[in-house]
Amino acid sequence: MYRGREGQWAWLLHRLSGLAILAYFLLHVVSISLIMFGEDVYMAVHHTYDLWPFRVGLIFVTAGVVYHALNGLRIMVMDFTGRGVAYQRQMWYGVLGLTLLATAYTAWVNIPRILGGY
Amino acid sequence: MAEQHIPKNTHTTPPMRVKVKILRYNPETDKKPHWETYPVEAQPSDRVLDVLNYIKWYVEPSLTFRRSCGHGICGSDAMMIAGRNRLACKALLRDVVKDGGTLTIEPIRGLKVEKDLLTDMEPFFDAYKAIMPYFINESPPPAGERLQSPEQAERMAHSSNCILCACCTTSCPIFWVNGSYLGPAAIVQAHRFIFDSRDEATNQRLNIMNQNTGVWRCRTAYNCTEACPRDIPITTIIEEVKRAVMYQQS
Ligand code: HEM
Ligand code: FES
Repeated sequence: MYRGREGQWAWLLHRLSGLAILAYFLLHVVSISLIMFGEDVYMAVHHTYDLWPFRVGLIFVTAGVVYHALNGLRIMVMDFTGRGVAYQRQMWYGVLGLTLLATAYTAWVNIPRILGGY
Repeated sequence: MAEQHIPKNTHTTPPMRVKVKILRYNPETDKKPHWETYPVEAQPSDRVLDVLNYIKWYVEPSLTFRRSCGHGICGSDAMMIAGRNRLACKALLRDVVKDGGTLTIEPIRGLKVEKDLLTDMEPFFDAYKAIMPYFINESPPPAGERLQSPEQAERMAHSSNCILCACCTTSCPIFWVNGSYLGPAAIVQAHRFIFDSRDEATNQRLNIMNQNTGVWRCRTAYNCTEACPRDIPITTIIEEVKRAVMYQQS
């Protein structure tokens, strides 16, 4: 493993989260389009999404989207300003902090519902 | 009575004992590279190059690596030392390993290994040639020199420090996966001419940077900037080239 610093991990997480969002988005489009085959087909698939692994997965999707969006803003600041490059580390820790907060809130809201079965 | 200060141990700091673990490969006998470890006793202020020379001269003569100047100028001895690209002649032992510890040394990544720490540098220099690394100015030369203001010289001061050691390019995760990316070193070299007030091929150079092997491959992972033994602010330079390309196209 190359011992890169913050920038390397920021990039790797950005790519992984980007690919994860893409996969989620494709799944979403396919699921929604199932309505073309009637309500029964649509509902059969969508009921499986109520199973707990999917609902836990959704917490991770939220984390991925929040990270990707915030780090995307970090990248834009770096691309357009010299200051952005100078403070890229600090900005990345900010991105991680906010992502953690958002994920914690999502988990706090969702985990009781998942455990309660509704 | 005045105390006399006799410094102790002026010449002999206690030596370090380290295990030097080298990724070795002999194309004539090996299918793939393998690790070999050499116990070494050395001064904390020794350079990694000194340790490699010691192993080559006294322990394992077949150990193969490049070096020339030994002073961080020729750019021959870039290698992956303790997980990061550095020049062996600029890395002090005490900065890369603890006493009793293990120091790993591998060839730089993304280029074909020919033997041990020696890689085929041709693709790297092909990328260098692709950016037209020479001064272009067709207008008749003035009677004296082509003058620059201090500010104009400053624009290209950092990028002209490059010694083409390949520490940056071979630390780039994009380059590891996609060898057709020209890489940070070539972009730094392009910057040196793009921001040279006397050069007249700026548009041509920006067009090369705008190709799909050019500057847009950079995903700002910063490994290059951290690896540069000349402390060139490489990511800053790449971002300047990106903006120059964007303003040229708009
Ligand atoms: C919230 C809105 C979004 C913002 C602000 C955003 C921002 C960015 C930026 C600035 C980049 C360029 C990265 C770079 O130059 O290193 C990028 C890359 C990428 N984005 Fe997004 N993005 C968003 C939403 C999405 C969505 C919805 C998807 C999936 C469908 C996605 C997938 C990707 C992928 C796969 C990459 C390539 C990553 C790489 O090359 O390393 N993004 N994003
Ligand atoms: S031997 Fe010349 S740069 Fe290290």
